[in-house]
Amino acid sequence: MNALRAELLKAVTTRLLLWFGLGLLAFLVLVLSIHIGSSDPQDLSRLSTQRSTLAFGGLAAIVAVLIGSLLVTAEYAHGTINQSLLAVPVREKLLGAKLAAALLVLLALAAFADAATLVIAEIWYHGRGLELHLGRDTLAPFLGAVGASMLAGGIGVGIGALLRRQTGSIVAILLWLLIGEGVISAAGDASRFAPGHALGAVVAAHKVGARDMLGVWPAVAVGLVYVAIFCGAGFLVVLGSDAPSSGD
Amino acid sequence: MIEVEHLTKRYRNATAVDDLSFSVPRGRITGFLGPNGAGKTTTLRVLLGLALPTSGRATVAGRRYRELVAPIRSVGAVLEASNYHPARSGRNHLRVLAAAAGISGARVERVLAEVELSDAAKRRVGGYSLGMRQRLSVAAALLGEPGLLVLDEPANGLDPEGIRWLRNFLRSFAEDGGTVFVSSHVLGEMSQLADEVVIIHRGKLVAHQSVSELTLQAAGATRVRSPRAEELLGRLRDAGVEAESTGAGALAVHAPPERVGDLAAEAGIPLHELVAEAGSLEEAFLELTAERNE
Repeated sequence: MNALRAELLKAVTTRLLLWFGLGLLAFLVLVLSIHIGSSDPQDLSRLSTQRSTLAFGGLAAIVAVLIGSLLVTAEYAHGTINQSLLAVPVREKLLGAKLAAALLVLLALAAFADAATLVIAEIWYHGRGLELHLGRDTLAPFLGAVGASMLAGGIGVGIGALLRRQTGSIVAILLWLLIGEGVISAAGDASRFAPGHALGAVVAAHKVGARDMLGVWPAVAVGLVYVAIFCGAGFLVVLGSDAPSSGD
Repeated sequence: MIEVEHLTKRYRNATAVDDLSFSVPRGRITGFLGPNGAGKTTTLRVLLGLALPTSGRATVAGRRYRELVAPIRSVGAVLEASNYHPARSGRNHLRVLAAAAGISGARVERVLAEVELSDAAKRRVGGYSLGMRQRLSVAAALLGEPGLLVLDEPANGLDPEGIRWLRNFLRSFAEDGGTVFVSSHVLGEMSQLADEVVIIHRGKLVAHQSVSELTLQAAGATRVRSPRAEELLGRLRDAGVEAESTGAGALAVHAPPERVGDLAAEAGIPLHELVAEAGSLEEAFLELTAERNE
């Protein structure tokens, strides 16, 4: 518990979360404004459109994978991993605490993204004289966004531990999201199992899958497999390597 | 207190520490000396569980660092002064470490006061001077009220005032019964501070002795005074001993007092003074590492 408390304190005592939170908020305002402001009112009244509108909160998952990696790589970038290992020398325990802290922090971030999405959508719908129907169907993506963000955070922690380089991790993640996922779409049905596609399916939260999208629970299972793979590989690398030093 | 047994650490193409063994006794200040690249930092990092040994072991009170029940309550470590998140305040840096060890916030305030950083505690570490960061490192090491302090080149980059502060602090820590193991290549500083020194060179042990023993062994001059100093000088030079007159019947001889005394006795030259002048720690260090280079 002490190690977890320390990791949570680390996460909130720099401005990392503040800047990412503000960036996410600004992005949500932008994309929701474009989406709701430019769509046909009849289309916006449909429950399916409202559901996909509220799924914009799932953008938190993109931020989550970056934050997850930064929670690990920032320690290596600034050398604070040395102090962390002096306080918690059992590396498995330190990494476990980092993962748990990342999941808790990203749960909060996703809840914030959901709340922001709801408020922005309400304001736009109200402004256009439309009603936003809040029910089980339309709110399911909110839970999906929370689940996808936590899974993405877990993957991010694994990538961070695997690469241990801040810039390298961010570049790798962005390249995968912007290019890798697009390229893999050409693989047809199999692309449903790519990390980004699977997390997208978690956000969409459809009980039954489609040809190009998994159902929510299979998608969660695929996401968990990615978390296990990346964290397993990353943690093994950290356990078997020296902490960085500039001395002799 | 500290046991290093047949420790070896190899990197891809280099051996940083080579079958190194020594021990550090409880309740003393032990200096860890060696030229840059000798393997001091690597040894300390293995001791603290930050680097993995290739073979051998380094323990504190018989246990590897990661096996200690409450590590930062047993060992306080001062490593590089750059190991800080620049956006985190000094106080928050200590709060994080305290939280990991289950140490109270009140203790954080006490150590901040002890290292005279209370006024700067709110500021981000990125704006701290090197000396302030070094003090913050010491504060972090003191958080758990440990009985052993391990410091890696703590005087690096400190101004004279900072060095004096550090020296006084370490002395008072040792006077209170604490054990200090401190690496340095600043020999003058170490000769004023340490009770004994471990000297390594190219990863191997060169010497482990008290500072007084070591400086006595160093090639210090023998001071000799005689009413027939000029005659003695000739005799010494004839015997191949390097010597020079320092005036008023006194000579400085680069040989042990026993040799000077024997030569004077053979020649029947009376001596009024025969004193072994101990070399400095610096001389001892340079001599020992030069022997290894040869």
